[in-house]
Amino acid sequence: MTMNNSTDPEYAVDSRYSSEEVQKADSVALMKARLERMENLPKEELMKAKLMQLKLKMTDYVENPVYDQRNYFLEFLKIYVGIIYQNKRDFAKDIQVTPVELSQVLNNHRKPKDSFLKKLIVHSERVYEHVCPFSGKVWLEVYHQDQMSKTMNEEAIWRPDIEKQVTLSEPFTPYKK
Amino acid sequence: MTIVEKETGNAHRAEISRVSDYELTSLSRERYFFDWTTEQRNEVYKLHKTTSSEALGLISINRIQSEWRIHIRLLTVSKENKGNNKIFDRIAGNLIAYISKLALRDYGELACVSLKPKSKLIEHYITTYHMAARGNLLSLEVPEILNLVNEYDDE
Repeated sequence: MTMNNSTDPEYAVDSRYSSEEVQKADSVALMKARLERMENLPKEELMKAKLMQLKLKMTDYVENPVYDQRNYFLEFLKIYVGIIYQNKRDFAKDIQVTPVELSQVLNNHRKPKDSFLKKLIVHSERVYEHVCPFSGKVWLEVYHQDQMSKTMNEEAIWRPDIEKQVTLSEPFTPYKK
Repeated sequence: MTIVEKETGNAHRAEISRVSDYELTSLSRERYFFDWTTEQRNEVYKLHKTTSSEALGLISINRIQSEWRIHIRLLTVSKENKGNNKIFDRIAGNLIAYISKLALRDYGELACVSLKPKSKLIEHYITTYHMAARGNLLSLEVPEILNLVNEYDDE
């Protein structure tokens, strides 16, 4: 398309529906075409889309943390393993941990070791090389965000006892407002 | 994300932010073509340089959850960024890529972004953004939607 100052295909694009009827008719035609296409999409493309979704969800969680009781690290880890492997044992093998250790981590019966986290970083960076730009450190950010969320959520429980265990032997003058 | 100054080829850092209802009232028709106050019930985003809050491009969307789809309602670059004398390139592309990210985050492999442009604009969106013609609509789906997000992801 030839472009001049009065016609630019990215200026003033009105894509609103003229009526609900038109929207419905367009939706039906679009959905039909999308479903037909989805059926013929290679598995790898679907896997890449799921991995991209996981990355965007993790990034979103780090940038906009939610302070609740959920263990997002484990939720994301389960999704990650589920996207790539049919059998969790294969993931355990690939990162050289025992199936028992992996199972305990996934079921929140033990915290992941440092080495587990580091292997996860390397593993995911190798996987995402085929999908999109990715930094494995997002796993650490999610993990630590969860820890902070847990500690602060339980503050009412731990603070009374901990207050008793902390003294300040150095004298300080209160700051002025 | 970056936008490119057409005259020099220099890249400038940019970001996309949600436009508040209050801010919509300050967007003039003269510069952004539409009456954006009509979009108060919809999500509106603006692209701006990281050093300024001034909108260089605007997009409003409608999330159609039941169809795992985000429909683009209005899209425009600002007046000084249209046509051959535009100052910055990649404004609309970054906005569409951002909406594609939202769709991918929320709908994964089912993600879809749709647009219903006038017929004379169709070719541009098919050629530039690899949208597919689906009846009266243009749509971005997997895998093209991933490619577009990656193309504009220069973090």
